[in-house]
Amino acid sequence: MEVIIQQIINGLSLGMMYALLALGFTMVYGIIELINFSHFSVFVTGAFISMFVLEAMGFNALSQALTDERLIWTLSLTLLVTMISTGLLGVLIERTCLRPLRGFSGVTPMITTIGLSFILTTILMLTRGPNVLAYPNVMPDVRWKVIAVTYQLRELLLWAIAILLMIGLNILIKRTMLGKAMRATAADAEAAQMMGIEVNRIIAITFFLGSALAGAAGFMHGLYYRQISFAMGYMAGMRAFTAAVVGGIGNVVGATLGGLLIGLIEALGGHFIGVKWVDVIVFSILIITFVFKPTGLMGRLKVHRA
Amino acid sequence: MNIPRGNVLKQIQLPNPRHLFDRSSIAPLLAGVFLLVAILFPIINRNQRDIDAMTNAGLYVILALGLNLIVGFAGLLNLGYAAFFAIGAYTYGILASMQIQPQWSEAWVWLESIGFVSRISQGGGLPDLVRFQFSFWFMLPLGALLAAAVSVLVGVPTLRLKGDYLAIVTLAFGEIIPVIIRNTPTITGGPAGLTGVRTPSIFGITFGYNPLPYYYLVLFEVVLAIFIVTRLKYSRIGRAWRALRDDELAAGCFGIDHVYFKLLAFGMGSAFAATAGTTLVSKLTTATPEMFRLPVSIGVLVMVILGGIGSIPGTVLGAIILSLLQSVFLQEMSEWVQTFGRLINNPWLAKLQLAPAMDLVYGIILVLMMLYRRQGLIPETLRLTALRPEELKVEPKPEQRIELSFHPLNPAEAKCQLLTIEGLTKRFGGIVAVDGVNLTVNPNEILSVIGPNGSGKTTLFNLITGVIPPDQGCIIFDGKNITGWPMHRIAACGISRTFQTLHLFQNMTVLENLLVAQHAHLRTSVAGAILKPPRVFVEEHAAVEWAKEILAIFGNRLLPRANHVASSLSYANRRRLEIARALATRPKLLLLDEPTAGMNPAETYELMEQIRNLRNLGLSVILIEHKLQVVMNVSERVVVLDYGRKIAEGTPEAVRQDENVITAYLGRRASVTQS
Repeated sequence: MEVIIQQIINGLSLGMMYALLALGFTMVYGIIELINFSHFSVFVTGAFISMFVLEAMGFNALSQALTDERLIWTLSLTLLVTMISTGLLGVLIERTCLRPLRGFSGVTPMITTIGLSFILTTILMLTRGPNVLAYPNVMPDVRWKVIAVTYQLRELLLWAIAILLMIGLNILIKRTMLGKAMRATAADAEAAQMMGIEVNRIIAITFFLGSALAGAAGFMHGLYYRQISFAMGYMAGMRAFTAAVVGGIGNVVGATLGGLLIGLIEALGGHFIGVKWVDVIVFSILIITFVFKPTGLMGRLKVHRA
Repeated sequence: MNIPRGNVLKQIQLPNPRHLFDRSSIAPLLAGVFLLVAILFPIINRNQRDIDAMTNAGLYVILALGLNLIVGFAGLLNLGYAAFFAIGAYTYGILASMQIQPQWSEAWVWLESIGFVSRISQGGGLPDLVRFQFSFWFMLPLGALLAAAVSVLVGVPTLRLKGDYLAIVTLAFGEIIPVIIRNTPTITGGPAGLTGVRTPSIFGITFGYNPLPYYYLVLFEVVLAIFIVTRLKYSRIGRAWRALRDDELAAGCFGIDHVYFKLLAFGMGSAFAATAGTTLVSKLTTATPEMFRLPVSIGVLVMVILGGIGSIPGTVLGAIILSLLQSVFLQEMSEWVQTFGRLINNPWLAKLQLAPAMDLVYGIILVLMMLYRRQGLIPETLRLTALRPEELKVEPKPEQRIELSFHPLNPAEAKCQLLTIEGLTKRFGGIVAVDGVNLTVNPNEILSVIGPNGSGKTTLFNLITGVIPPDQGCIIFDGKNITGWPMHRIAACGISRTFQTLHLFQNMTVLENLLVAQHAHLRTSVAGAILKPPRVFVEEHAAVEWAKEILAIFGNRLLPRANHVASSLSYANRRRLEIARALATRPKLLLLDEPTAGMNPAETYELMEQIRNLRNLGLSVILIEHKLQVVMNVSERVVVLDYGRKIAEGTPEAVRQDENVITAYLGRRASVTQS
């Protein structure tokens, strides 16, 4: 029983990460109906940038973990720099490679993002080589045992960051003029444009937000697993994408719930069926959702597809 | 159906196709030269590594041609293509190695007698085992069949998904297969892979590790593959695929069965992949699951995109360039760069390996091609230059057109109604778009349907042609109850339509548009398309002749542009092509949805005359039209719809006076002032 609860805890931690990633997929899909494969590599880029930032502050895999208030400042600064950098990367991608293709229906922009993903991934590989890299050691390994279940500080931190970011995003989308403009663009870009909304700006902001969240997820991945690799984006990304689809692609709340669901399925499926079958389970969920309920659990914002 | 075809246009020569590669006169010559070079290559260059690199390039050509068939011809983006490559490789690999050795029993005797298994004794009182040694030549087609069967199984539930969704589903499937292979080591050898696969042998000569026999084997396969895809592309089959790719809705309305043709493309492409897989594993004598993952699918896609989606020479070129870049050029360039680095004493350059940069090259090619040259290095269709004045003068004499006859009306048929619609209803959510409409069309009649915007006219057409199923009511056409039939069957029984918003097959020529329209009347099968027996020649020739006669209805508007791509036509010519395409199906009933929309008065008048001529040729027409002048001029009867209901019916004059109609068009107030 304890093992199962432990697995649920692990699953929720994974799920938080997938949810952050899934939000980026779902926001971009909601607004321009594009499956953005470059999101995978933006996530990995986030992990690398956060590593570079920590290294610039003098941390490496063997350094002493921080235990005083400097920890909070270090993590906050890293998170901020990472999110802004990946956000800008997202805007750059949108501006240079996707905006010229606006209006091209079908798979043309999607193929472009596959290409971008290949480019970014290779560049990341060239920076530090193809091996798995040890992530700088900043977090102290604090654990609490509550009724036979172990909680780690890293996990709680991950939950806290993820939940805060999601609440922030939700407020942004639901309560601000910007959010209203984003929702209007998602519902009908042409009509939004006629109402005086600068659609291109809204799309760029959407890419910024989604990519910033992906950067945060990359940073959290590094803290949580304490190792990163240039190739980690694909598997994590496909899970997050599955989460977005299961939740109803284009639906922000759905992406969050889908992320948690996929995290739980991965942890519990790995426990009961076997870790080596997790990929098959996740991909099967993806196929089954598309075939039987393409609108996902929470429904999609837009129903019509040409 | 007996169709008398006049000898009207036999004298008229269509302008020569000026396509650069496809079917032009230099294409066979070029192909011959390349083939000769390919045959002589191992004799000129005896370097075994180069021969092997060329062999691999050939395998990529086969893979790329198969993917081009799926993505380029049928327009189905498949990101899990490598899975079918794996199916071919592992099927042969398992059945031609010692991976599985079941216990010997009598059931294996017949396989032993044809040499596919042998009996090995373990000694020491242990039972004898079976050793698989299936023939390569037998497994080559079997693997292809198996891959095709699997792809059909995968395709049935997934192929109705569109574009990006289909891409993701195939990607997921493509990732599941290698994971299953990795996780079932007893059957597949797991992550370590299969080893000791038997190499092929023919006439008692075993291929072994000599690259030469593989080179010629792959060359033969490549030639066969190119032959098959070329024959298919310009046949009834290939036209159906390309029509589906360009416009799925219109393809259905012209008699093309979506499900069948998509599955056919998927299955055939997968069979190509499996053939390459079987050959590869026999050459390498080993296979690992990592050889068949997403990067391979993407790599082959990059080849197709670089060369030109849908273009056969382009695909071949793309595959050769990229596979040689990977296996030869990048390594040679690495050596040059390293030498250069040592020369200038730069340690970073001296150690630089360019081979891992292949993904970078793929990525850059994808992005650049998508941004700047989506049609690829050798585009599938070339836009033709403007016509020269003399090319415009192919107009037949006016009196000759009358000989064109669709189907002879027999007097008995003339008495009964061609189309009867009873109580037809369609709801979209809370809106009743068509509400209990009754309608009849007599043979050889032009019936106009008019009504304000949103009164359900186009929905009525969509219901008749089966684009959407009705909620209630029935449609009886030519004595058959066609209610709820799929659109390709309705098209085949003689109803044809045009679209208000143009739905042409944009990337096909004018002539091909008309040939697609005859799909339901042609019989060429896959085998027929590839082998091209005389029967197919005759059929194709007749189809082209018929298309020319249809084009001649519009004088010199379309005929000189028969080999132009539809998207290059002027607006009015596209409208004409819509009608020509509908006529090419040899319909009994023609549905015209605002044929004169956007035309100027002169063009409208010309078209009106032509519609009237159609009736004289024995056709029945339902016409949706906003220009009342057209309606009043051409139609025998007029039906008026408003909010989905039929509010009036009668001769044009009667309808014009009708109180309800005036109310519907001008609003309540106007009618009040009138009364």
